[in-house]
Amino acid sequence: MTRRQILALLAVVGICIALYLTLYKFGVIGVLSCSIGSCETVNTSKWSMLLGLPIAAWGLGAYAALLVLAIVGGSESREESVPIAKVLVALAGFSVLFSAWLTYLELFVIHAICIWCVTSAALWVVIFGVCLADLRAVSRVSR
Amino acid sequence: MADKGVDGGRGRRPSVVKKQRGASPQRFYVVLALVVVAGGLFLVRAARAPKVRANVTTAPITPAQAEGYLMGNANAPVQIMEFADFECPACGNFAVITEPDVRNRIVNTGLASYRYFDFPLPMHKNTMAASNAAACAADQGKFWEMHDQLFRNQPEWNTEATDNPKKIFLGYVKAMGINTDTWEKCFDEQTHQSRIMANQAEGNRRKVQSTPTFVIGTRLIPGSMSYDVFKAYVDSAAKEAPAAAAAAAPATAKPDTTAKKPTTK
Repeated sequence: MTRRQILALLAVVGICIALYLTLYKFGVIGVLSCSIGSCETVNTSKWSMLLGLPIAAWGLGAYAALLVLAIVGGSESREESVPIAKVLVALAGFSVLFSAWLTYLELFVIHAICIWCVTSAALWVVIFGVCLADLRAVSRVSR
Repeated sequence: MADKGVDGGRGRRPSVVKKQRGASPQRFYVVLALVVVAGGLFLVRAARAPKVRANVTTAPITPAQAEGYLMGNANAPVQIMEFADFECPACGNFAVITEPDVRNRIVNTGLASYRYFDFPLPMHKNTMAASNAAACAADQGKFWEMHDQLFRNQPEWNTEATDNPKKIFLGYVKAMGINTDTWEKCFDEQTHQSRIMANQAEGNRRKVQSTPTFVIGTRLIPGSMSYDVFKAYVDSAAKEAPAAAAAAAPATAKPDTTAKKPTTK
């Protein structure tokens, strides 16, 4: 499996998590399955909305963008495209920073941890690692 | 290593060189489809899952015939009752782990009132003494402090630990700044025995069968639970509250603050 195929798979996993939290926020899912922490405290706090949309919906958008980039960039003709690799690194880098800020809010402002949010943050760290490896590899090839 | 010179710096991309291993698109799409299906099933299951627990029963709201011990505003939109035994470990878990959040985020925000009812179980030898200790502390306005001490320190005074729990309770009483003589007289004379029995009778009347059991709005929910689950019950009771409150106590109808979630923007 190529790096970008791996990214596409990770993006789908992320989409499921973000969709789960988004559906909860829109009232489709009644109670979050949350064995550790207080998912609901986090997801009903004032920090759970940004510009009128749930944070989870923004995450959903980011994962969807990652999926599109990974699939488009994973096609044979674009497999070694450096611009796509750069956009991937930028997207993942931004998401890692954003998730870090959200995790900071959970720990020090809301004083509650949402295990799904932390999982998503960890997922972005992994995705960022794969994106960096991808950029390094394609830069080396195209040099 | 031998591959290193292949691209030769000619600026042409050696597309055959760095072909990644195992890049079969078919296999990728199969795996991708599997992940999508698994995620989809998870989401469908989550959306279809019952929003409350299965063993919950619904009963009409009837005013309690015993007073219990009140925390918060008695006229709050949602009424919560807890039937518990001071010596029961599950009650202790709830009191130590979940209840602080319930107090801060539900009771102190005015969303609900909270009443504790003694439901002493016969197999716990020291629980009646604990209920008495708490009732006597209540005389001096320290019921909840004593409640917290008792639950937090169950292993110090429970059936396994001692035959003379009073000695341990006296330690708590002193630490709390309660008048020891008054408390001791009350404890020894079992002044509040009838109050405790009335609390227990309230539980029997509501068919409580295990501890802890909660009544949240119209629902009777056995068992300890996490804050999230607890909050979900309170929220659903708050939605039903205006009608129920109007039926139960028209004279004390509250302004329409019932639908407001304190932590939601």
